[in-house]
Amino acid sequence: MKQAERPGLRRWTRREYARLIDHGFLDEDDPIELLDGLLLVKEPQSSPHRTAVLLVAKALEAAFGEGWFVQTQSPIVLDDRSEPEPDVCVVRGAPRDYVDAHPARPALIVEVAHSGLGLARGRKAAAYARAGVADYWIVNLVERTLEVHREPARPGPARGHWGYAVVETLVAGDTIAPLAAPSASLRIADLLP
Amino acid sequence: MATSEPRTRRFSRAEYERLIDLGVFQPGEPIELIGGELTVAEPQGAAHYTALVKAAKALEAAFGPGWHARTQGPIGLDDDSEPEPDVAVVPGSPDDYGRAHPSRPVLTVEVAESSLAVDRQHKGSLYARAGLADYWVLNLVDRVLEVYREPVPDPAAPFGWRYARRDVLDARARVTPLAAPGSSIPVARLLP
Repeated sequence: MKQAERPGLRRWTRREYARLIDHGFLDEDDPIELLDGLLLVKEPQSSPHRTAVLLVAKALEAAFGEGWFVQTQSPIVLDDRSEPEPDVCVVRGAPRDYVDAHPARPALIVEVAHSGLGLARGRKAAAYARAGVADYWIVNLVERTLEVHREPARPGPARGHWGYAVVETLVAGDTIAPLAAPSASLRIADLLP
Repeated sequence: MATSEPRTRRFSRAEYERLIDLGVFQPGEPIELIGGELTVAEPQGAAHYTALVKAAKALEAAFGPGWHARTQGPIGLDDDSEPEPDVAVVPGSPDDYGRAHPSRPVLTVEVAESSLAVDRQHKGSLYARAGLADYWVLNLVDRVLEVYREPVPDPAAPFGWRYARRDVLDARARVTPLAAPGSSIPVARLLP
């Protein structure tokens, strides 16, 4: 059956989002993230999900080394209408560099997805590509693969919205090097729960 | 985008009214709270506004004293809905609603051009769930009046309810609101 058409949702700016938090409509522990103006409810954390987040964070800490840090499920700033909290992201510098403002230009974003696979490949990929995030990975818990999304591409004849021109799917036996840490070699098997 | 609608943070009507009091929204933003979702209406064209004014005038005349027609005014429909229908006929005078929005219009009208599908299904289901007995969609695309009556439960509908009866009246027909049984309004008088 064709789904009934729905009215358009009101989009929030980052400034308004901050006011919602200030006025107590949201608190920092709410599983909400601002993506392209929508207050998205985050996927509930299953044990495999949490395990994958920890494995990915640990592997990336080791791969990037000095001069970078890894944050998990913490806010980053993409644009005026997006302040998502990706499962894992790699940021240049040290935590104290971001006391006054959230990091804005992660070198790598990783989402771990099971029921949220459609969201990770759709709206999130679009928002990350539009913000110029060069390296975006999805740990696909359904098929136990790593999807590597690269080369942000604007909407055009081939695509109706922002996305990534190159998407590669890697399996447990493969290895991967982050774009910003080209000499590293991570085994996909080490990232999967 | 080929993804299903993501789940977004829902707001209760009490939260929504507090957001308005706090001045979080821009003045004049065409926002409605529909089943916990903050939705935005599309900008309205000249035909839409003309139809809305004509419908309000015709309904005020048909209902007479003791009623009035609100245009795009908020309705306190339920705990998570505060829609602003194009026209809503409510008992009493505007002063009766200085402290709280009316909650049960006897007749609700949406003027529909680009919003036709949403007005028929999404809002129709919401209004049926609230038990609104008389719901009209003034369809500017086909220049007809769609009259919806008799709310019934339907698990397949967006809000679990729909209207069992739908009559489509063209410009030559006349219509009688359920709550003003002695009146008879030419549909032509509602169309722009």
